[in-house]
Amino acid sequence: MATNRLVQQGVKQVKPLLSVDRTEARRRVLNLYKAWYRQIPYALKAFNIPVSVKRAQDKLRELFLKNKHVTDIRAIDMLVIKGQMDLVETANIWKQRTHIMMFFKDTVNPKPTDFLSKFYEGQD
Amino acid sequence: MLRLWPLRQVAKVQNVLGGLTQIATKSSQPVPAPELVEVFIDDKQIFVEPGTTVLQACAVAGVEIPRFCYHDRLSIAGNCRMCLVEVERSAKPVASCAMPVIKGMKVKTDSPMTRKAREGVMEFLLVNHPLDCPICDQGGECDLQDQSMAFGSDRSRFTDNAFTGKRAVEDKNIGPLIKTIMTRCIHCTRCIRFASEIAGVDDLGTSGRGTEMQVGTYVEKMFKSELSGNVIDLCPVGALTSKPYAFTARPWEIRKIESIDVMDAVGSNIVVSMRTNEVMRILPRLNEEINEEWISDKTRFAYDGLKRQRLTTPFIRVNDELVPTDWETAFVKIAEKVKSTEHASIAGVAGKFADAEAMVCLKDMINRLGGEILCTEESFPMTTSGQVFGLILIDFRSNYILNSKIAGIEQSDLILLIGTNPRLEAPLVNARIRKTWVHNEVCVALLGAPVDLSYDYQYLGDSYTVLKDLTTGKHPLCQALSKAKKPLIILGTDCLQRDDSHIILNAVRELSENVKKTCSNKDWKIFNVLQQSASQVGALDLGYQPGVQAVKTVKPQVLFMLGADAASFKRQDLCYNATIIYIGHHGDYGAQMADIVLPAAAYTEKDAIYVNTEGRVQIGRQAVSPPGVARHDWKIIRALSEILGVTLPYDKIGDVRSRLAEISPSFNYPGQVSDSGFETQAYKLQSELKPKVAEPCPNPIVPNKLKLRDFFMTDPISRASLTMAKCIQACDESEKNPYSKREAV
Repeated sequence: MATNRLVQQGVKQVKPLLSVDRTEARRRVLNLYKAWYRQIPYALKAFNIPVSVKRAQDKLRELFLKNKHVTDIRAIDMLVIKGQMDLVETANIWKQRTHIMMFFKDTVNPKPTDFLSKFYEGQD
Repeated sequence: MLRLWPLRQVAKVQNVLGGLTQIATKSSQPVPAPELVEVFIDDKQIFVEPGTTVLQACAVAGVEIPRFCYHDRLSIAGNCRMCLVEVERSAKPVASCAMPVIKGMKVKTDSPMTRKAREGVMEFLLVNHPLDCPICDQGGECDLQDQSMAFGSDRSRFTDNAFTGKRAVEDKNIGPLIKTIMTRCIHCTRCIRFASEIAGVDDLGTSGRGTEMQVGTYVEKMFKSELSGNVIDLCPVGALTSKPYAFTARPWEIRKIESIDVMDAVGSNIVVSMRTNEVMRILPRLNEEINEEWISDKTRFAYDGLKRQRLTTPFIRVNDELVPTDWETAFVKIAEKVKSTEHASIAGVAGKFADAEAMVCLKDMINRLGGEILCTEESFPMTTSGQVFGLILIDFRSNYILNSKIAGIEQSDLILLIGTNPRLEAPLVNARIRKTWVHNEVCVALLGAPVDLSYDYQYLGDSYTVLKDLTTGKHPLCQALSKAKKPLIILGTDCLQRDDSHIILNAVRELSENVKKTCSNKDWKIFNVLQQSASQVGALDLGYQPGVQAVKTVKPQVLFMLGADAASFKRQDLCYNATIIYIGHHGDYGAQMADIVLPAAAYTEKDAIYVNTEGRVQIGRQAVSPPGVARHDWKIIRALSEILGVTLPYDKIGDVRSRLAEISPSFNYPGQVSDSGFETQAYKLQSELKPKVAEPCPNPIVPNKLKLRDFFMTDPISRASLTMAKCIQACDESEKNPYSKREAV
């Protein structure tokens, strides 16, 4: 308990990355979300992605919600920065088609973890 | 023949005296032990035993002298002249391999004279050596190449003025294993000395002199030895190379994996050369305690059997035909069968290549299912009475291992071989006996078939009465046995495969105990068993029953066969609707008989523990991956146990090894061998409970392998090997050759 408190104090005192409080962090996330949302139709067209706008929007929502458990403001900021970079790379067509498709990852099978599935797969 | 000690012994003396020489260098006046000789190698003072050669003294001083003909384990020939060194106050350079040290000798190993001598020798050798390194199999690991780079001249004076070409020699045909390109021969005579001294087959020799000199067999015949492949390693040039390996790989493109051989129970240390997931060749690895630096021909050449007749996918028998399937289907099928049978009626049989991990997994799984019958294919008397009830002999390790160890043979002064042909059952044990016979004048007596052992022995006959006479002290050999300081009795396992095996074992134990009473050396182990299969000692350590007798009595409904290919039982011996599940790597007897076949890994394809006949635990390493969807044996059993609902708690090989160590602590110490104990107690119990001995059957006590022909194909790997088939063919042809030595028997 005591250590927990100490850690909390430490976190509180740390230098902010971008946002100073939760409201500001939240605003940044929403702004990024909106920017991506607006970019989606153009990106799909530019990269000739065989995915409907609706599905891409769902994927965007899914990817944002994947990090909804993050509460640390600095971590949120870092994710926002990364998302921003991804967006810029998409908008400028610095990425390639496969990079966009990586968001969907439909063909990747999860690696087996238990002994039996590892055995069937032939993986050690 | 000049006999010398091996270098390591010189080094040992040097180590003992290390402290002494240190003191000597510190004080102003050196005071060495009186019997040592003081020599100076490049002005460095060292002390060596008298009789040491200059070359050995140089090795002690840390200077390696180039050589072609000198070899640590062979007698000294001194004919290549490559080891010439300058000795002060000597007009000519001297051949260091043959020159014993003299007190106060000053040797210069890097003087202009030495260097000039080496360069000259090198030039003469190369004048008579073809320039075919690019197509030579020795290229990249050739002593001549290396030494001409290090010590040779940088340009050649050889010009073929008359356009007659270089010296050319006809190639010899000495069998299917060794390829000879005799033009490349530099007449070091290592192969000749190996054949006559270590293999004991005096087939090779020289004819002619000077340029006309040739190494060969005089008349065309096969180099008929079970150790013949070793001359390939000994040949410093590419004159003798491996026929199966010819033109397949180069030494710089192969990876070398240190592993353990499983062809016999000796557990020779080997190096597996691998390229592109294929075993390219197998070479020996130095282990003074087991195989020194030799391996048998089966170990070296049977590897091509690893690529043929392999099981690459699971099979299920449908309408009397094995149909390929996948793992899941096969497992489900097994689960159905196991669910519908009484669990006590599940049994397991381990074959001769089974590794300890797989065996312990199989045992644990079957025990968890409720089955108790786990046995090995090879029989060994379990009880003193030959019945199921009686004193359990295999509870004492000293009853079934080679107690005095392979290296211990060298100390022995009398060896009694019973019902064994060590030359074909364990060629390297035989090589040790021959080494002892040559160097230490050991007496060998043989009770069994009068086979050719490559050394002289006293033949006692092959009947049980001789053994009885020995135990009662009536036999003339008993005197010699009681006088011997370190007698050895080595019992073969071939004579223990019959119904009266317990009588033979009891008699041999009794004889050993009698000899022990009179033996002055109380710590010396007299009783030894020479096992033949790589899995047997490990299996007995883990609590397997030897022999398939239990399976035949109980007639199980579900039988797991772990690489059991010796055809020790038939389907008729089991329950009429029995399901046989074969786990193994070759399509041999076992797979033929099975209802469900699960493909496993061969010994080059898995990290696995084997226990050799001395009880030495050794770890073999994986060189290549198993073919197709084959899996490691222990993993198959672990996965199957999960399907059967008795999940074994082993997820990694480390878990299995901890389990092994739980059962027998010796598994904790790979590479080492501990002394077996409780021999006297074991014998005491045995003699107290001695049952009424039934009459032994009148069959003679003889081993199964009598001629070299019988040596080559003994297991699924060598049966699948083309090279081994060629060897047998060559043996048969050599029978017709009037110049070939007749094998006894």
